[in-house]
Amino acid sequence: MRPSAASEPGRRKAGAVLTVPTVSASESETLELVVAQCERFVRRSVDSARIDSDGRLSPSLISAAAEVGLFGLSLPEEYGGLALSMKATGHVVQTLARADRSVAIMVGLHAGLGTRPLVRYGSESLRLQWLGPMARGEVVASFAATEPGAGSDLSSIRTTLRREGTALQLDGEKSYVTNGGFAGAFTVLARSPGIGGARAHSMVLVPGDAPGVVRGPEEHKLGIRGSSTVGVHFDRASVSAENILGEPGRGMDQAHAVLAWGRTLMSYGCVGAAQAALGATLAHVTTRRQFGRSIGDFGATRMHTARMAATVFAMESLVRHVADLDARTVGIDDASVIAKVYCSEGAFDVCDQAIQLHGALGFIEDTGVARMMRDARVTRIFEGANDVLLVRLGVALVATRRDSLRVFPASESREFGRVQGSIDALERRVSDALESARVTHGVRAVHQQVLLQRLARAAIALRVAEVAVCRAIAERGSDEQRLGVHAAEQAVEVGETWLDRVAHAASDEASADTVAQRLYARHGTPQRGATPEA
Amino acid sequence: MNETSMKLREQTIRSIAEILEIDAATVKGSDRLREDLGMDSLGSLELLSSLSSELKIDLEVEEAMDLRTVDDAVEFVARHVSPEAARATVGGV
Repeated sequence: MRPSAASEPGRRKAGAVLTVPTVSASESETLELVVAQCERFVRRSVDSARIDSDGRLSPSLISAAAEVGLFGLSLPEEYGGLALSMKATGHVVQTLARADRSVAIMVGLHAGLGTRPLVRYGSESLRLQWLGPMARGEVVASFAATEPGAGSDLSSIRTTLRREGTALQLDGEKSYVTNGGFAGAFTVLARSPGIGGARAHSMVLVPGDAPGVVRGPEEHKLGIRGSSTVGVHFDRASVSAENILGEPGRGMDQAHAVLAWGRTLMSYGCVGAAQAALGATLAHVTTRRQFGRSIGDFGATRMHTARMAATVFAMESLVRHVADLDARTVGIDDASVIAKVYCSEGAFDVCDQAIQLHGALGFIEDTGVARMMRDARVTRIFEGANDVLLVRLGVALVATRRDSLRVFPASESREFGRVQGSIDALERRVSDALESARVTHGVRAVHQQVLLQRLARAAIALRVAEVAVCRAIAERGSDEQRLGVHAAEQAVEVGETWLDRVAHAASDEASADTVAQRLYARHGTPQRGATPEA
Repeated sequence: MNETSMKLREQTIRSIAEILEIDAATVKGSDRLREDLGMDSLGSLELLSSLSSELKIDLEVEEAMDLRTVDDAVEFVARHVSPEAARATVGGV
């Protein structure tokens, strides 16, 4: 394990927070132990191919994960947890995801969306009752927000929490509940009319064995087949009034806050998965021989592997940047969206490239990279579908005028002058494009989805370029320096391409609108203005 | 409250009801967009975007972020619509 940045004050630069998994020396020691135990657990208990074919995580595997403390990562020490920061927790999730995505999702969901609402908003007595068993893995936590009629549009939630005497009653149906098959507690986002507002929403902790909680069968999925995904029906489920988490009626804001945490941990998982795919690819291209030499020696292969490595480097830099913001209690709403979109797409892209470079072997399940791609696919959908997140990010960017879009001070190093110059130029173009959208459309920009998505993608590319080069500067003299510059150059190119398309957003949207309207009419279901489902 | 203000209020409430798919009669001026109507920040912006299109007025997106109640939204729109334009627009609604 690398030393923490904090232990090397002379070397600390703006990008140093991106170079190490943790920033606190004491946390670094704990993390080193946890990672070692985690790797031992993986060697002994995790067989990814078996998990995939069984379509479940066995009770013995879950017990083994509990024994090494994987359910207490982010929970406070006073309840038996390790109180790890987001950055350290994420590093463990990343380590697990290198071995198996279903295991990583079970642990990451528990550490993030599952327990975060209780840690952050629960009453002391509720925390005392639940967090100890949760830290020990006796109670696995789950989060239930999505419904058959409410995917990305959480305001459409119909599950309803009402006062019933001195208690609360919950009615409704939740879909795609991760960890739902074996969860001992659910944090449920529900409408709560009359509790904190006429049409307010609240989050409530529901014991898994509460009367009226009915779990559906496991969903049959394309990937992460070991991860438990079920529907949960609440039929007059009775819950104590003190199980409301935080201020009644503030559930939607609270859900968005914990979703930012959950998205980031999930993005860490994407990094681990992409590292596994890259590792498998490097092993293959350096041993597989064609035309008298290793296929990795061919220029075309090198282009692919360099791009994959640069993408993984940028993904890792990005999640560490988000975790660093969180450690400094800076809001991570937008940053977590940037990381989620980039990392979920990056992981899928790296897995796809891995299959391509494996040739026909990649298409064979036994090789393992096909499973990696199947496992990666869902991350572009859950914890906020990327299409919707891009629109929301675009709205946030247009709605908030900022002095600078940069998050790190520019380096004065001449060594990085060329790439820094291209990032400066990209920032000016992104700023100009955002200002143009404000002036041209005003508040009506919120309905220009294609424009908003392209602006968001350009801003994501800018952030990627920035974190990549900052980490390169901090790791000057190592292999990472070249990788960071390569990643930044790629990101600038991507950003410039999206900005070129900003000017055509209105005409492209109009053209697509015409085509889509005819298609929908032919199928008899015109759906103008419908919100994409997650 | 004059007739124009009343019509602007009606228009705003009608737009809220359409976006939320609820009965306009249940929406009050004092309702908080978030807690009482279940609208998030994007929903508030969508509301103003719709009103901006219907009333043919320009609303700056940044100013729209701080609205808390239906009355706030009505006043915000009223500030940006000239009396003549308001009469002409809402008169035909």
